[in-house]
Amino acid sequence: MDPREAARLLEQTTRATKREFDYRSLRLTLVAAPVIVIVFGVLWYSVRDQHPYKGPTPAALGVMYTVLALWIAFAASTAKRANEGLSGRSIRQQRAFSAILVAALVGVSVFEGLLKADGASNGIAYGIYPPTAQLIVLGTIGAAMMVAREDWPGFGVSFSLILVATGSAFAGPRGVWLSDGIGCFVIVVAGAIAKAWMDRAPQQTA
Amino acid sequence: MSTDATLDPLIHVPARLQIVATLAALPSGDALSFTRLQEMIGLTPGNLITHLRKLEDADYLMSEKTGNGPTSRTSVALTNRGRAALDEYTETLRGMLNGL
Repeated sequence: MDPREAARLLEQTTRATKREFDYRSLRLTLVAAPVIVIVFGVLWYSVRDQHPYKGPTPAALGVMYTVLALWIAFAASTAKRANEGLSGRSIRQQRAFSAILVAALVGVSVFEGLLKADGASNGIAYGIYPPTAQLIVLGTIGAAMMVAREDWPGFGVSFSLILVATGSAFAGPRGVWLSDGIGCFVIVVAGAIAKAWMDRAPQQTA
Repeated sequence: MSTDATLDPLIHVPARLQIVATLAALPSGDALSFTRLQEMIGLTPGNLITHLRKLEDADYLMSEKTGNGPTSRTSVALTNRGRAALDEYTETLRGMLNGL
C-alpha cells in the first residue's frame, strides 16, 4: 500500500467513524431550529397582548408539549442509532447526564409551582422564571457534558444558551419568550454552521 | 519505494488499518460491537475475525464477550499499546509523505 493511499484511508476512516458516532448530527440541528421557532413563537404569540399577564394559554402549551415530544422522540432515535454497538465510558456518561437533566428539569417545574404557591406574580411564575431557569439548566448541564467530551463548539453553544437565558430575563414576562426564541434559534443555527465548517475542514492526519 | 519495512506491518494492511483507525476514533474508554464494526468496515465475519485475531495476538486490541447464546455480544477496543502503535504508524507515515 502506497503511503499516500494509507494516509487517505486513515483520514477517511477516522472522519467516517467520528461522523457515524456523532449524535449531534446536522439533520438533528436542522430539525431543532424550526422546533425552537414554533415553541417559543407560539408561547410568545399567546401572551403578547395579555394585560395583566396571565401566562401561556392551554392551547399554546398543548402545541409546545406536542412539538417537544415529537422532537425528543426524533432526537432519542438519532442518538440510539449513533450509539448502536457502542459501550463503555461515553455511554455511561450520557446516561448519567440524561438522569441529571431530567432531575433538574423536574426540579425547575416543582420550584415554579412553589413560587406561585408562595405568592409570586404570574409574570414571574409563568413568565420570566420557566424559560430562564430551564435554559440555564440545559446550558449548564450541556456545557459540563461538552467539556467531558472536549467538544468545544458544543461547549460554546451551551455557554451561549446561559447568556441568552440570563439576558432575556430582562425582556419581561412577554418579551422573554420572543427574546429566548430568537437567541436560541441564532445559537443553534450558528452552532450548526460552525460544526459543518469544522467537519469539512481538511484534517492533518499524515 | 518499499514502505512495508518501516511501517508497522500489522497495521499497514487496508483492512487492519481501517479496524485500528475506527477503534482509535472512538471516545477513550469505549468499545465497539463486532456487528457494528463489521457493518462499518464492510468485511465478511470470517475475514474480520482473522484480522482481529492478528491484532489481538499483538496486544493491539482486546475483545470481550458478554451474555450467552443468541444474546451474546462481542465487543472490541483498542489497547494502550494499539493506540501507541497507531500513533507511531501515523508519525512514520507523516515523515514519509514529507519526504516525497
